[in-house]
Amino acid sequence: MKETPLSNCERRFLLRAIEEKKRLDGRQTYDYRNIRISFGTDYGCCVVELGKTRVLGQVSCELVSPKLNRATEGILFFNLELSQMAAPAFEPGRQSDLLVKLNRLLERCLRNSKCIDTESLCVVAGEKVWQIRVDLHLLNHDGNIIDAASIAAIVALCHFRRPDVSVQGDEITLYTPEERDPVPLSIHHMPICVSFAFFQQGTYLLVDPNEREERVMDGLLVIAMNKHREICTIQSSGGIMLLKDQVLRCSKIAGVKVAEITELILKALENDQKVRKEGGKFGFAESIANQRITAFKMEKAPIDTSDVEEKAEEIIAEAEPPSEVVSTPVLWTPGTAQIGEGVENSWGDLEDSEKEDDEGGGDEAIILDSIKMDTGVEVSDIGSQEQKSYKELGTRLAEKTEGDAPIILSDSEEEEMIILEPDKNPKKIRTQTTSAKQEKAPSKKPVKRRKKKRAAN
Amino acid sequence: MAMEMRLPAARKPLSERLGRDTKKHLVVPGDTITTDTGFMRGHGTYMGEEKLIASVAGSVERVNKLICVKALKTRYIGEVGDIVVGRITEVQQKRWKVETNSRLDSVLLLSSMNLPGGELRRRSAEDELAMRGFLQEGDLISAEVQAVFSDGAVSLHTRSLKYGKLGQGVLVQVSPSLVKRQKTHFHDLPCGASVILGNNGFIWIYPTPEHKEEEAGGFTANLEPVSLADREVISRLRNCVISLVTQRMMLYDTSILYCYEASLPHQIKDILKPEIMEEIVMETRQRLLEQEG
Repeated sequence: MKETPLSNCERRFLLRAIEEKKRLDGRQTYDYRNIRISFGTDYGCCVVELGKTRVLGQVSCELVSPKLNRATEGILFFNLELSQMAAPAFEPGRQSDLLVKLNRLLERCLRNSKCIDTESLCVVAGEKVWQIRVDLHLLNHDGNIIDAASIAAIVALCHFRRPDVSVQGDEITLYTPEERDPVPLSIHHMPICVSFAFFQQGTYLLVDPNEREERVMDGLLVIAMNKHREICTIQSSGGIMLLKDQVLRCSKIAGVKVAEITELILKALENDQKVRKEGGKFGFAESIANQRITAFKMEKAPIDTSDVEEKAEEIIAEAEPPSEVVSTPVLWTPGTAQIGEGVENSWGDLEDSEKEDDEGGGDEAIILDSIKMDTGVEVSDIGSQEQKSYKELGTRLAEKTEGDAPIILSDSEEEEMIILEPDKNPKKIRTQTTSAKQEKAPSKKPVKRRKKKRAAN
Repeated sequence: MAMEMRLPAARKPLSERLGRDTKKHLVVPGDTITTDTGFMRGHGTYMGEEKLIASVAGSVERVNKLICVKALKTRYIGEVGDIVVGRITEVQQKRWKVETNSRLDSVLLLSSMNLPGGELRRRSAEDELAMRGFLQEGDLISAEVQAVFSDGAVSLHTRSLKYGKLGQGVLVQVSPSLVKRQKTHFHDLPCGASVILGNNGFIWIYPTPEHKEEEAGGFTANLEPVSLADREVISRLRNCVISLVTQRMMLYDTSILYCYEASLPHQIKDILKPEIMEEIVMETRQRLLEQEG
């Protein structure tokens, strides 16, 4: 299938956002997405997730005769495949450009940098050497394939164990994993690619572009480095003119990022090693979280709340008297309600509410506790009891609150929040929609509850 | 600030809500349509084991002796005379490639394009070089299907002043099977906006231009600011179109207009809520039935 073209509006929006140093997922300019490394049951099998981009890496080995001009060196073979499930645009015949570019980059990064000691792969000079084959499959494309692929490749290579071989005179003995523990490969260093996307002719740069950002970028700079700050490969594509200091700056950033990623990789390898030694369960099945919603899940975005206190003080100081606040919820249909009127936010208005503080403070605390208790009851024991207790609470609160002023706890800015009573037995909703409707009518007394302190604005 | 909370609820199947008696004969790939061998087989069917079997998921249509299956969810299949709204994806030597939600990109030849000023002459090399000045990648155009190539690719033309580059407005992408075939697809709705119902499922809603420009030939995009009232009408129309689509109603000027009128008592952003959507579309359906019957 061909790719749907990006509309002009979207393109302009992305570029404008980047000019204002904003990224769609809330990251900073130099932030990487969350990297997750999980290992399979076999040695040499791993899945690396860079945000939503997923790459599966598998290393395998075979005894072959060496190349004629390199009789004492083992053979390395790298292959990256763009699976059709990665993106609708990837079709068996149609990926050549991108595929060739990625494969070449990966080869230069791993082969030319001599990160793997090929001499140690030699068994009998001129006759038998190990051929190590690294297969990478892109499972999902959400931008920055090359970084994810390079991490997957190096992790798989570090994780891999080849069968032990011993040579006695003319005899070669190949031990099975049962006879002798397999031996890890000899890896000198871990080169990792870091991608920089450039926008507006090199004015703005982003690290780890995601799929949307890649579509609107002008050019891409890929630097492959190891943690000793040695550059293994550097490639600039897209034809943008980069200044010398830009490239130097990028290499410094890459140094920092590579150090972090290498640490992460070593930790992951160590964890896996530990689990295997202790005889615990390992493999992909263990790394997948059960009983959890994993589709359409948004990662938590880190927000800086260090200056919230000051901002809150400012707002409180400048606040005007609160406007009329309607507290009752509007129930549209069973299962949906609206709180608030949709008029402007009156959160900054706290002068009246501060007065109520002292009066309402003590009582609210008690009611809060009883509410908490009841929620415990509600979850475990679904019955008419909860209806009664809610009614009680409702009336109690109604007594305390006179008129429509909001109830607050201490100095937090709050508005009333009404909790909808869920249907008696949520599981039965499907079959008993009509009965649920009737049940709803009597138990309309909503529970007034406190909202926790929110970060100001 | 208003906050909405919604509890999960079971979705009612569409047929229950509609309460329709006439059930369409719906088939999925592999279903037997008929064992009667007297019928000719049309699109979407194949003969296997003495039976006529469906190869796509859709409704069975029968015209005398011809049985075909019209797929419900499909890419746009071009037919001569259709109006389409498309986006330019490539500028090639003597033509533009236009994305129209079909299997292959459609083609707009330079010779099928009106020159500004309405001149009629042979396109020269300078015209070729100036192509990008007319239409660039990412531009939206309205055009008519001139011909369909053997591989299914569609050739477009904009040889009338009503076709050309589209300026400010809102694009809604729906399934092509929901756009009803009518005599005209350019409508000036009385509510204050105009709409182009592309047969390929691209619906373009834009503010009604005050006076029809005769000379431009449809290339200069009008970038004057659109008033708030117009914008509200356009957003409301867009939400109405989306609610009609979710309820699987055919889109044509009357249905969109009735839906707009039914939605007036609600706020624009409320139209997208499932309950209100159902309500509005139910009302629209009533009115349409009354009008027909």
